[in-house]
Amino acid sequence: MLSQTVVKRLKEIVGEKNVVTDKVGLLTYGYDGTLLSGEALGVVSPTTTDQVVEIVKLMNEHDIKLVPRGAGTNESGGTIPSQEAIVISFTKMTKIHEIDTENFVAVVEPGVINFDLQVELAKQNFYFPPDPSSFKASTIGGNLGECSGGPKCFKYGVTRDYMLGLEVVLPNGKVIQTGGRNFQSEPGYDLTRIIVGSEGILGLVTKVFVRILPIPRAKKTMLALYDKVEDASQTVADIVAAGIIPTTLELMDNLLINTTEDFTHAGLPRDAGAVLIIEVDGYPEDMDEQVKTIGEIASKIAKEFKVAQTAVEVDQIWTSRRSAFGSVARVRPSYGVNDITVPRSNFPKAIGGVLKVAKDFGVTIGVVAHAGDGNLHPLILFDQRNKEETETVHKAEQALCMMALDLEGTISGEHGIGLVKKKYLDKEFTPAAMEAFRKIKRSFDPTNRFNPGKIIDL
Amino acid sequence: MSNVNISKLKEIVGEANVIDSSSEMAKYLKGPGKPAVVVLPGKTSEVSSIVKLANEQNVKLAVGGAVVNTQGITGGIAMVMSRMNQIVEMDKLNLVAIVEPGLLHKDFILKVAETGLNFPPEPYEVETSSVGGCFSIGDSDSKSFEYGPTRTFLLGFEMVLPTGEILEIGNKCIKNVSGLDFIHFAVGSQGTFGIFTKLLVKLLPQPEAKKAVIGTFASLHKANATFNTLIKRNVHPTRMNLINASFAKIAKPGTEGQLVIIDLQGFKESGKNIANEVASVLTLAGGFDVKIIEDAVEYDEVINGWLKVRAELNAKPERTVEFVVGPMKMPQALAQLEALTGDLGAYPGIIVEGLLGYVGLALPEGTEKLALATKVNKLAMSLGGNVKGLLGHKLKAEVYNDAEMWKQTTSLLNELRQQFDPKGILSPGVSLEA
Ligand SMILES: Cc1cc2nc3c(=O)[nH]c(=O)nc-3n(C[C@H](O)[C@H](O)[C@H](O)COP(=O)(O)OP(=O)(O)OC[C@H]3O[C@@H](n4cnc5c(N)ncnc54)[C@H](O)[C@@H]3O)c2cc1C
Ligand SMILES: Cc1cc2nc3c(=O)[nH]c(=O)nc-3n(C[C@H](O)[C@H](O)[C@H](O)COP(=O)(O)OP(=O)(O)OC[C@H]3O[C@@H](n4cnc5c(N)ncnc54)[C@H](O)[C@@H]3O)c2cc1C
Repeated sequence: MLSQTVVKRLKEIVGEKNVVTDKVGLLTYGYDGTLLSGEALGVVSPTTTDQVVEIVKLMNEHDIKLVPRGAGTNESGGTIPSQEAIVISFTKMTKIHEIDTENFVAVVEPGVINFDLQVELAKQNFYFPPDPSSFKASTIGGNLGECSGGPKCFKYGVTRDYMLGLEVVLPNGKVIQTGGRNFQSEPGYDLTRIIVGSEGILGLVTKVFVRILPIPRAKKTMLALYDKVEDASQTVADIVAAGIIPTTLELMDNLLINTTEDFTHAGLPRDAGAVLIIEVDGYPEDMDEQVKTIGEIASKIAKEFKVAQTAVEVDQIWTSRRSAFGSVARVRPSYGVNDITVPRSNFPKAIGGVLKVAKDFGVTIGVVAHAGDGNLHPLILFDQRNKEETETVHKAEQALCMMALDLEGTISGEHGIGLVKKKYLDKEFTPAAMEAFRKIKRSFDPTNRFNPGKIIDL
Repeated sequence: MSNVNISKLKEIVGEANVIDSSSEMAKYLKGPGKPAVVVLPGKTSEVSSIVKLANEQNVKLAVGGAVVNTQGITGGIAMVMSRMNQIVEMDKLNLVAIVEPGLLHKDFILKVAETGLNFPPEPYEVETSSVGGCFSIGDSDSKSFEYGPTRTFLLGFEMVLPTGEILEIGNKCIKNVSGLDFIHFAVGSQGTFGIFTKLLVKLLPQPEAKKAVIGTFASLHKANATFNTLIKRNVHPTRMNLINASFAKIAKPGTEGQLVIIDLQGFKESGKNIANEVASVLTLAGGFDVKIIEDAVEYDEVINGWLKVRAELNAKPERTVEFVVGPMKMPQALAQLEALTGDLGAYPGIIVEGLLGYVGLALPEGTEKLALATKVNKLAMSLGGNVKGLLGHKLKAEVYNDAEMWKQTTSLLNELRQQFDPKGILSPGVSLEA
């Protein structure tokens, strides 16, 4: 419980309505995209950098820790108040300060929803390449907190690649600026890069300078259908081997085809073993040849290959893909999202590995994957109320992580470590690397005030 | 007097790889310091032993690919990585390579090209820069608009930490958010977090076609104006660079005037059309000798000319002012710069990387760099940019009148450095104070 003095001071800093301390209110901020939960001492929603500074200083005086939060859609437990702490919610810092298309920069507050930024940019025929499937809900601050990916990483990279500079409030309440409006502004060390993906454990981001790009002149969306998911994975490997860099190579297996069909009625054949969504973009005059090459490669194995002819068709395809996570909830009440990633050449093996884990543990797994990146999201369906089943699911998830590491991959391609995968971290990293993480955390936050217990313990 | 235990070093790397006669050492060294010894390790474990030894004896150590900058290591150890120059693995399926740090950057580019792949970062010093140095400096260059800055191409590494411990991190996945991102944080750390002993590098397929369009202009400003025209037309080449008349003579002997180089790496079909579009833009703007270059040999000559000029600037950081503005603000930037400096033609040289809004200005002997940089930074800030790097940060904080922010930034940088190198052994010549 927060003392009356602290609550009073918080209300003075951010205003009455931006402080939550009632039970129901606290409960809503105790969840994220995972099945974990916790209860914060309070939730405070600043609207300016100065308020953030005041809050941090006040919390330091009273020795209270802070958990930063955007939209709370992360899949790693990163926003769960797992220790005594207040939640600092950035959802009221939603200003788009500036969109400067001539100079390829936008300046935003961290609470801006990715989609809202895209809408503003689209008006000027620009876009912000990182667009995680959660982009209608997730915030730029959260995207950078996790270094989110999305369907376009194959060609365009991840959130890290679009962060030019940040304004950051440090655990001691001081404000620094990292980077700037271009690639060449880092102060000695690339501080922007270490903040990106740090899940709120190093600093609170209060302003973000992002790189924006003109929308490509042309785009082609293709669909390939397969009898078996292994076949689809072969096409992925073949496309990469042919030296083609599509924007997107997304895969869904039969289970996901069916659950998303229930949801969207996009017209995907329910008997298909897997579907690949392939997209290329660039100059119009280069499209035909790329589509032709990809068609030839896919048709070797696929039972059907087609090129979307209208914008509506393209939309339908993407609606299916974007509803993938949510759609499985109709099958079983709970699902666990995994985020394993392997070198692209090992992607077919990883698919095999997932099928094996499903069999070995007797669990239902649906697969959706950013296949071109070697990034798989095996969704394990279960009922959390069933203790025994839940235990089995945890074991299966561990087996998936170990499988990815055996294939020289990683336990997280885009969702982050948070609380959920922390226990496997030392399986991926040597003691020297773990110690390097601690050195970095110690430099920023020697007394472990920001998002304590996430990623690593000091 | 130096504390370096030469005989111990000889035990570690073998007699032949320890050099302590100053005449023989010279070819491995540059800069003001006088190290006691040059040592050439052949493998990671040797690097580790040498660094441990330096720690035990509290001796400073700096590293280089072929040549070591001796700043700050008088009486210390200069470590040359040139014996560790193998490509350990070239993995075409995953588009990655594992390479030792002492391989020359230019040789790496060639080897990568031989396998049909592409390593975009430009070498810093064409003749001496190493792959380890490339990531150690971790810059951006004139191709970064299209390909991203140098860090984009590092997926992992093996590193000997300042304490001698060996750290391995990363994997061949192109997406990886596990742990904190020490992989990319180490890029640009200039040998202060550790010595790279192996690099896991991301590669790309070779572009289907490469072309360049060049043209010469009587006026720097007119030449530069073509860049705005191209950006407005939604043309974003791979490089869009301008070299002033004095530097143009180095890049392309015989050039009379300001040289514009537009590099187009991409697909055949669009490449043809864009090249024509660019050529007409240059011609209409008053460019002469406008030429579309398709021949591979001639193309390489043009690009190598650019790299030579770039290296010319890179070699003299103390006599170069570098700044960035919003790319579309470049016409104002050059006009205002000229108002500050007087006729830019009187300067040793100036280059513009149009897509990045970057200007590199070579200063005549005797110019007060800091005084000029301070003025230039104000100018750049008013146009959405700043002077490059650490110096720029310091000057920005001065403009904001925010001494607190600068203090906080440097204390964070120094704390990080100290955490990794508690005894201050590695790369003492690198300053984090600007
Ligand atoms: C249906 C669904 C689909 C998804 N699809 C994708 C996908 O395609 N790709 C992908 O990568 N992820 C995906 N995710 C995961 C998630 O949406 C992303 O991680 C997203 O970026 C989180 O944004 P958020 O605003 O919800 O952040 P939150 O979950 O609120 O926070 C994420 C992390 O950032 C920290 N943080 C938030 N704001 C700040 C700040 N201002 N300063 C410092 N730290 C801060 C938090 O402490 C936390 O550790 C998906 C999730 C769901 C539910
Ligand atoms: C901030 C800065 C300041 C400079 N100051 C000067 C100067 O005062 N005088 C001058 O003549 N030139 C200076 N230069 C230019 C520089 O010396 C060279 O032009 C540039 O380093 C590339 O050439 P090189 O042959 O040294 O490359 P490399 O030998 O490849 O080295 C480049 C850099 O990387 C480091 N490095 C090399 N290998 C490794 C490794 N395996 N692990 C970790 N680090 C490694 C080196 O210490 C060096 O700093 C400076 C450059 C920069 C970026």
